[in-house]
Formats: sequence, C-alpha cells, structure tokens
Amino acid sequence: MSLIKKRIADGINLNYIETDKFKTGSLSINFIAPLDSSSAAKNALIPNILMRGSKKYPNMAEINKKLDYLYASSLSARNMKRGEMQIFGLGAGMIDSAYAMNGEDIIAEVTDFVGEILFNPITNGNAFDTAYTESEKSNLIDAIKAKINNKTYYARQRCIQEMCKNERFGLDETGTVDDVTACTAENLFAHYKTALETYPVEIFFVGKCDIDALGEKLAEMFAKTNRKPIAIPKTEVIRSCDKPKTITEDMPVNQGKLTIGFRSGITLGDDDYPALMMFNEVFGGGVTSKLFMNVREKMSLCYYCASAPDATKGLLTVASGIEVDKRDIAEKAIFDQLEAVRAGDLTDEEITSARMGLVNNYRELTDSARGLETWYLGRALAGLSDTPDDVIEALSKVTRDDIVAAAKKASLDTVYFLNGTLKGATKNA
Amino acid sequence: MLNVTTKKSEFLKEEYYTYKHNSGLDVYVFQKKLSTSYALFATRYGSIDSKFKLEGDKDFTVVPDGIAHYLEHKLFENPNGEDTFTRYARYGANANAYTGNTMTAYLFSCTSNFKESLEILLDFVSTPYFTPETVEKEQGIIAQEIRMYDDHPSRKLYQMMLEALYEKHNVRINVAGTVESISHITADILYECYRVFYNLSNMMLIVCGDVSIDEVNEVCDKVLKEQAPANIIRDYPEEKAEVYQSRIECEMQVSKPLFAIGIKDVDIPDDPMERMKKSAAMDILNDVLFGKSGEFYNKLYEEGIISGSLDVGYGICKSYANNSIFGEGTDPDEVFERFKACVNDAKKTGLDREDFERSKRALYAAMIRWFDSTEDIANNFLQFKLDDGDLLDYADAIASVTYEDATVLLDATYKDEYYTLAIVKPLRTEGEQ
Repeated sequence: MSLIKKRIADGINLNYIETDKFKTGSLSINFIAPLDSSSAAKNALIPNILMRGSKKYPNMAEINKKLDYLYASSLSARNMKRGEMQIFGLGAGMIDSAYAMNGEDIIAEVTDFVGEILFNPITNGNAFDTAYTESEKSNLIDAIKAKINNKTYYARQRCIQEMCKNERFGLDETGTVDDVTACTAENLFAHYKTALETYPVEIFFVGKCDIDALGEKLAEMFAKTNRKPIAIPKTEVIRSCDKPKTITEDMPVNQGKLTIGFRSGITLGDDDYPALMMFNEVFGGGVTSKLFMNVREKMSLCYYCASAPDATKGLLTVASGIEVDKRDIAEKAIFDQLEAVRAGDLTDEEITSARMGLVNNYRELTDSARGLETWYLGRALAGLSDTPDDVIEALSKVTRDDIVAAAKKASLDTVYFLNGTLKGATKNA
Repeated sequence: MLNVTTKKSEFLKEEYYTYKHNSGLDVYVFQKKLSTSYALFATRYGSIDSKFKLEGDKDFTVVPDGIAHYLEHKLFENPNGEDTFTRYARYGANANAYTGNTMTAYLFSCTSNFKESLEILLDFVSTPYFTPETVEKEQGIIAQEIRMYDDHPSRKLYQMMLEALYEKHNVRINVAGTVESISHITADILYECYRVFYNLSNMMLIVCGDVSIDEVNEVCDKVLKEQAPANIIRDYPEEKAEVYQSRIECEMQVSKPLFAIGIKDVDIPDDPMERMKKSAAMDILNDVLFGKSGEFYNKLYEEGIISGSLDVGYGICKSYANNSIFGEGTDPDEVFERFKACVNDAKKTGLDREDFERSKRALYAAMIRWFDSTEDIANNFLQFKLDDGDLLDYADAIASVTYEDATVLLDATYKDEYYTLAIVKPLRTEGEQ
C-alpha cells in the first residue's frame, strides 16, 4: 500500500491510496468548509440535490439505472463534521475493471458519471430545480427531526450541543430546521458556485487505477471553475473546564441514557495523542477496559458503558444506558474508574492489552477502503501525514506515567442525563 | 493426511477448503491475503429452538424465551474465573458473539497471534462453566440490553412485523427474550441447552484470512476431543400460510411514522440449492418491483410520501421465509395501497423484460463486492452454510434465474392474505385524539 498525493488544481488534491487488496475501488470528492451556521445547511443540501438529477440523467430512476449498468456501482451523498470543519461531497464505489464482462474501463466511466452529477445539475436560470430543492429540504428537515429516534446517539449529540453551546462545534453538520427552511433554489445555487470555486477539495481514490489518467480527467472537470480557495479556520480547542454543569431532560422511554462529556486537553497533532488513545483504551475503549469490566461486568448496571475520544476537538465522552433509578450509582462508578486510572491503578496486563488492542485496530483499518480513506482524510485535514504504522510505533513508547498524565488532563464539562419516564422504568431492580 | 475438498468459483475468482475434523467438526478455510484474519465458531442453535430433545431422550425439554442468547453471554466465563475478553486481549484480538433466530456465533478478528486466539475461541466455547451466582449476575446486564432494544424504534418495528406475520412459529419470539422470561433461566437449564446444541456435529468453524489449513487443524487437534454426533430433534409449531394479523401498530418517541410491510412465505423448498435459487429469484423480482431504479420507489420519493430509502429484503431458511419493505413516511397506509397496486399492475401487464435483465446483471455484479473483507466473507459464508447452501454457488443461482421463474414467484408470493403492515407512530401529545 502507498499514498500518492497529486495537486490537480488550486486547493484541490488527489490522494491515491494504491492497493491491490480489493476487488473494488472507491472514489470520493470531499469539499472542506468551515463549520458555520450560515453555510452548514446549504452544504448539507447540495449533494442531496445533485443526486436528484443532472442534465444527462434527469431523475433518480435514470441515475440508478446508469449505476446498475455500471456493474452495480454505488453513488452517495456525504456530509460530516470533523472538528469545526464540514466535509461534504460525493462518494462512489465500483468493481475493478478486471471483472467487466465486455472489457469496459469501469473506473473511467464511473468518474465521468460522478463528474456529470457534480458539474451538470438541472438548473432553472441561476437556480437549482425548485421541486428537487423543496423535496430535499423537506427530507433534510425530516432527518434532523429523526435524530431523536436513536436515543443513544441523541443523548450524545445533546451532551455535545450543551458542552459546545458557545463554540462552532456545537452546530450540527446539517444546520438547524430554521437554517434549512431559509434555503432557496437561488441561494443554494449561488452557494454551490461558491463552494466549487472557494472550498479546498480532497479527492480520494482507494484501489488500483491509472492515476495519471484519473488525475487528468479530474483536472479537466475542475478546469471550468475559477478557483480561488479560502483558508479554513482552525478548530478552536478549549483544553479544560472550571465550571462543570449537569443537565437532565425527560423523555418517555424505558432506559435512562447517561452521557458524560470531558475536555480531554489533547488533540490529534499533540505529542501526547498516543497517550490519550492509551488512556481511553484502558478507561473505556473496549471490552477489557475499566468501565466495561466494572460498571457492566462487576456491577451489572448496564449493557454498554464506553468512552470515546474526539481528537479533532479535544473531547472525550462516556456513554451508558441504565435504569433511571441507578443514575447516581452509575455516575459514581464511572468517576471511580477515572480516578483509578488517574491514581495509576493499572496492571501491566491492562496496559499491554490496551496497546495490543489499539495496534490491532490500526492494522485492521488498512484492510478496508473506508478505513484507509477515513485515516488519510483525517490526517489531511489536520495537516498531518503520519501512517497507522507511525502511530503503532508511537504507542509502543507510551508509559504508565504518560497514561496517568493524559487521564489527569481530562476535565469534566457536562453530565447529560436523558431521563426515561415510561411507566415501569423506575421499578426497583 | 487430511481429506480436504476444494471449492472454487471461476466467476468470483475465489475458493475455499473444507474437511471434517476428527472431533466431528466441519471446518472451512477461506484463504485471503489481507492483514486481518477472522474466525467464526457457530452452532445451529438460536431463539427459535425452544422445544427439543436428543434422539433417545424420553421427553422434550421446553425452555424460557431468550435462553440461546443468555447462554452466549454466559459462555464467556471460564472455570478459573477469568473473563474470555481478557484472555483474547493478551493477544490483541477483537472478540465478539451474536445470537440470531437459528444460530449463535462466536468470533474474533486479529492481525497477529492467530493460532493463540483460535485456541481461545475453541476452548472457551467448548468449556461451559456457570454457577447460580454468575447466572444471576447476568440478568441485570441482559435486562438493560432488552430495554435498550425496547426503546429502539426500528428493532421494535421488526419485532412487531414478525409477531403479526406468525401466529405460532418461534421466529416471533424476541431473540433476547423479555425481562420476565430471562428471570426463569438457571444454570441447570443452560447446561441442558449446551449439552444438546453445542455438540460439534451441530457446529462449524469458518476461518478467513492469510491462514493455512494445517495451522487451523493443529489448533483443532489440540483443543477438540472426538465427540459422538448428536441427533437433535426440534419441535416447531405448525404455522398456517396466511398472516396472523394484517396490521399492527404502536406509539413511540419517533419524529415520523416508521413502517414495515411484511410478506409471509411458507412455500419453502426442501432442497438447499432450490432454496438458494428461490432466494436469488426473489432478490431479482424485488429489485424489479421495489428497487431504486423502479417507478414504485421513485414516485414515493418524488411525491414526498417516504423520506429516504426503502429497505427491501427476502430471507429464507429451512424453517421460515418472508419478504419485507422497511421505510419512513407520513402515510404508511398510502405506501401499503401503492405496494398492492404495484404488485397487481405487474401481475396484469407482466414484468418488464429489460428491467429483469438489468436487475439480474446488477445483482450478479454486486456479489463481487462481498469479497473484500474477511469479516464479510466469513459471515456471509456462515449464513449460507447454516442453511446447507454455499456462498460460492450464489452467483450461479442468480445466473440461473429465468424471467419465467420471476413471473411464477410474483403470482405465488404476492397475495393479500400474506401481507401485514406494521407501524411505529409518534406518541400522541396530550389533548390530541
């Protein structure tokens, strides 16, 4: 496996992750925007509107028929938040041309198709198609409202919204219902033009292809745009919190959801990032962590209790689903385990197991196109170029003291509890 | 010398080796040059197996709902008090397990120390150990797992659909059971279930990765003892062809109604290859009728009746089969009416031949994507093998489906008396009717 980076236009990179591990290839075009309330909803909507139809493939049925014809290739809109950046665009998956029945160059055909969808939307003067726009606005509003359906995810999202109320990170990558409502076919089309001209773009291809040919094709597609890329502001990182808060919200569900948000004080490029990963792993990263072994296995309080870092923003969250009347016990149990790590109460075996588990995860990610792309996109956004092997190497040097130091840096910001109010939920167990 | 058989697919450019280990266990090795090796140790025992005996036993044993899943949790304990996850962690492996309607599978993935991890897998699954105390302790954990799923709208919807489709068949039982049913589980019943279903003749080992058959065999030799095969007699209730209830609904904290259209199918071929062929034909037919390129889906989407995608699927095994269409939208009844209209139109005018060919070709090509991860290969392989089919034959099954096959299925499968509509509605706020 190797990574080749090519600049194909001003502020546009093609990242080629060359590997013959897979029978498939994947291509993605990622626009990098500042996460901002004035543009989040627009950026989220644009790929969805593009996916409704182009001049050559004017509706979804035609788009999907073309994908069927291209040996069941896939095309999807993407939109995500990485730190205080919003990444949106299109992703395509295809089988290797070696499997084509009539010798077609599947990669080239899929790339042309992605170009058609991206650059030739159906327009009405200086606007997107009104019906498509209104329909996708309505779908996005539905999706925003539907976040309440998954209670685990919802509780974590609410915790982060409360923690980062006064930071851009508190914004969702979809914008709000009001932001979406304010979008029009005209202002979206204007923003689409702006996005093509000004947002940095990271393109990825994972698999095996003729990189020069792909680079030329993509350069040609972007040649029509008048590129003047903007600089993307850095993610604001608040490294500690002196006034922790507690928020409780009622909802008619069975199970209570406890989410605890910390400022980890450590981000991706920091020297102690490997120590943060080790701290998270021993604390609540997996099935041999202190949270799993104690809060679940010893105390039988829950089915899941796990911690996860967001190293782009410097956060660490702990999440668990419990009986509502066990809230205080569970909260105390979680903090007890954190204190144990801070006190250095870690066996050699806990440390070795954590390291081996992480090493295994980093090695496994190189076996999936998505894993590889997520890794290198994350690195590109953070201005880093280290490989999974580099992090594996760095992990081998993390000591017990480093783990303790990382644990001590974590400072409590917000305890969020989704209080289940359904009858029966408060029974004495 | 091991008596190894090789199975190949020219189209997929894939192959695997299989043999029966001396212990009686069927072993499958899928060589793949990836960093991650993946192993599955599985038994043909799931939530539907609630009444059973071994050949020679006098009476049937009837067990509480959710016990197969409970047993899966409890096997992770070891006689020396050590947790299985801790054992794996010493070698860096990622371990897990899952229970379904017809199977329980224990698995790990790793990028080094494969043999050590495989030894742990075979050892802990073949060494049951529970006491009344450790069984009791698990109740709190599984109760929270059940309550988590109770709050999960799409899980709940799937469960409701099965409960409406089937009157007696055990597939209507929740895999994890209920908080009440698991309170009746004891160490003794767990041991009895283990004795019957964890006989090696009822199990299989699937390994996928950069691993040789000799390495696998060496570990099997070390851990597994020869075992007399067991003949398990499972007693499943008779199930009628028509649905139990044609409609079922509940209210939950959701933003918009979620719906499932379930289509019951009791016409299950005895021959495994015929079942695979039926499955392939149904996948093609469903793609023609309800797929992303078709009119049914696109009209619903364009008119805003559904938001997002429809999840359409057919599942078939020896014991039960059904089609399902899952989605989200303001008016599930309208979707249901259009579904019926779509089927009736197709019956009247016949399936479009070009659509049939396009769907068939797309499904055939899509199979190539199943072979890029050791995890996907092992799990897909298991699903086919559990039902005596073969993953590598599925491409051939797709290729063998004719237009006439799809037409026959359309007429036989899609009938009013086989349909149910399940809906999860948003909670009514106070004051509303």
